[in-house]
Amino acid sequence: MSLNSPVADKVTAAVLFLLGAGMSWGGFTMDRLEMRDIHPGSIPGLVPIILGMALMGCAVLLFAGARDKSGEVAETGESWRDFAIAAAGSVVYAVAMVGNVPFVVATTIYIAAFVWWFTRPATDEGGGLRRVVIAVGFGAVVSVAISVLFRYGFLVRLP
Amino acid sequence: MEGLVGLGTALMAFMTPVMLMHVAWSTLLGIFVGSLPGLTATMGVALLTTLTYTMERDTAILVLICMYVGAIYGGSRSAILLNIPGTPASAATALDGYPLARQGKAGYAMALATAGSALGTLVGIVLLVLLAPPLADVALSFGSFEYFWLAVFGIVISGQLTGGAHPLKGYIAGILGLGVAMIGSDGIHAHLRFTFDLQPLNGGIGLIPAMVGAFGFAEVLTVMWRRRAEMVEGRAGGDRVLPKFVDLWRYKFTVLRSGVIGTLVGIIPGVGEDIGAWASYAMARRLSREREMFGKGSQEGLTAAETGNSAVVPGALIPALTLAVPGSAPAAVLIAALFLHGIRPGPMIMIEQPDFIYSVAAMLVMATIAIAVFGLSLTRVFVQVLRIPREFLMPVVFTLCVIGPYALTQRLFDVWVMVAFGLIGFVLRQMNYPMAPLVLGIILGDLLDKSLRRGLTLSDGDLSPFFTRPVSAVFCVMVVAVIMFSVPAVRRGLGRLIGRSEAGA
Repeated sequence: MSLNSPVADKVTAAVLFLLGAGMSWGGFTMDRLEMRDIHPGSIPGLVPIILGMALMGCAVLLFAGARDKSGEVAETGESWRDFAIAAAGSVVYAVAMVGNVPFVVATTIYIAAFVWWFTRPATDEGGGLRRVVIAVGFGAVVSVAISVLFRYGFLVRLP
Repeated sequence: MEGLVGLGTALMAFMTPVMLMHVAWSTLLGIFVGSLPGLTATMGVALLTTLTYTMERDTAILVLICMYVGAIYGGSRSAILLNIPGTPASAATALDGYPLARQGKAGYAMALATAGSALGTLVGIVLLVLLAPPLADVALSFGSFEYFWLAVFGIVISGQLTGGAHPLKGYIAGILGLGVAMIGSDGIHAHLRFTFDLQPLNGGIGLIPAMVGAFGFAEVLTVMWRRRAEMVEGRAGGDRVLPKFVDLWRYKFTVLRSGVIGTLVGIIPGVGEDIGAWASYAMARRLSREREMFGKGSQEGLTAAETGNSAVVPGALIPALTLAVPGSAPAAVLIAALFLHGIRPGPMIMIEQPDFIYSVAAMLVMATIAIAVFGLSLTRVFVQVLRIPREFLMPVVFTLCVIGPYALTQRLFDVWVMVAFGLIGFVLRQMNYPMAPLVLGIILGDLLDKSLRRGLTLSDGDLSPFFTRPVSAVFCVMVVAVIMFSVPAVRRGLGRLIGRSEAGA
């Protein structure tokens, strides 16, 4: 699976065109502050209109130029499963846990789970308990260290 | 002469035990960050910015500059030993550094890289001291019309040079960055734009959370996305770990040329260290008497690449300090840090704080001495650093990405911004969109917006001053030339024209 393909470029071009159109329309319909008697050249929507049009133009060129990239060197050896797990775990930690669970607890859980999952052996060779102990121990130590550093070193009220 | 006296005075002021300690730990941390694949200089400077908030002004800037210099240099370690550039800036270093390591000369390759980095930074520092004050003087005459074109030129040249084979994607990244800068209260009438009634958006998107996301979280995801590479190590011990003076003397012109090229590349807005290294490497290869050795373990090639990328650091600070336009992505974070600590970069800096440029040069000198000392004395320690598994390092990095932006404003919203930019940044990277123009767009958006609208107000809606004032006209021609040059047909035509004229000569 590659995000650097003609199909991906065409889809991106369509998204960018819509984004550009939205930006231009947003700028066009933006309040022109006539009540404040400002100069027409300084209306807040002017630059968004121009940027939106530029983005639409680039999107058209991107769409037209999307071509076969078989000659280019593609990134190899990627693991989308690892990416998905890392991304999902990190987003859950940052968006759902931080702020709702005490920082030190949330961080310990996140780091421990991350280390535990990604240090799993390719084949089941046993040693599962040892892996859990290392992951939790590492997570707890790092979490406490970061929390103490920010709380007492930089006087940050932790989330 | 005045510049050198200013530099000497500033150096003396920093020669205190406390400052030397700050230089030591921050440079060491920078080398550590740079040497680990997945941790970049931009990420290091952005994360450290959040930790310098409570520091005194000069200490904070010193620490950040040492991190910057250390990280750019540190990237050479993994490039030489593992053939994996620690930072993008060291990609050219790997071409000759790794073959040298495989020949059993890893220690000597690292010694040459250290010497090249130190000398490159020094060349850049001299040019910083010489060029920054006159550039600030010239910039004092800039009005809204010129600043508008400067912002446009920054985005266009950055998009062109960092986009590589796809300059269009560089331009798109730049426009997206400018679009992000449009969110929040506008700079002239304080009118809210694109906030969708979300109160946290009123102040706009913070640069630090955006950069920590685009360079930190996106990097974490990229590292985890790539399969565990079997790192083939060259031998790191046994051979000489100090550069031979005779080699350095032999490459004196290469060092000087690469230092100047790196600094000039650094001055170009939003281009960065990797381009500096490639440009220096390409020029060294072209002019070398041993060009067939390039890519197979050329000491000259290694020296050119390392000198070039390190010279970009002082070069990137020249426009950052005098125009508030960053020459590289880490310099963009440094600009944000300067504002945080009450320093207003821009042409007025030579009037408001004339000694500050010399202080920055002195900080760079101290960082350079530190990389030379650590680089030559801790070779084997850094080899051990490279063995830290990604599975342990990446969650710690992401935790810092979360708590760092939060610590600055104590707003969870900034954490969400970081996450959003990380995910978007990852996708854009996979699609070959460069990040530097995006960041530059976020920084220059406000300048471009205000300059265009102020200019139109001053000229009563007349567009002609944008094209007829001398500096504006020059910028306009350069913008058009850069855009035209990215059109393949124009490039091919120019290539044919040059080929014909060379054949005719």
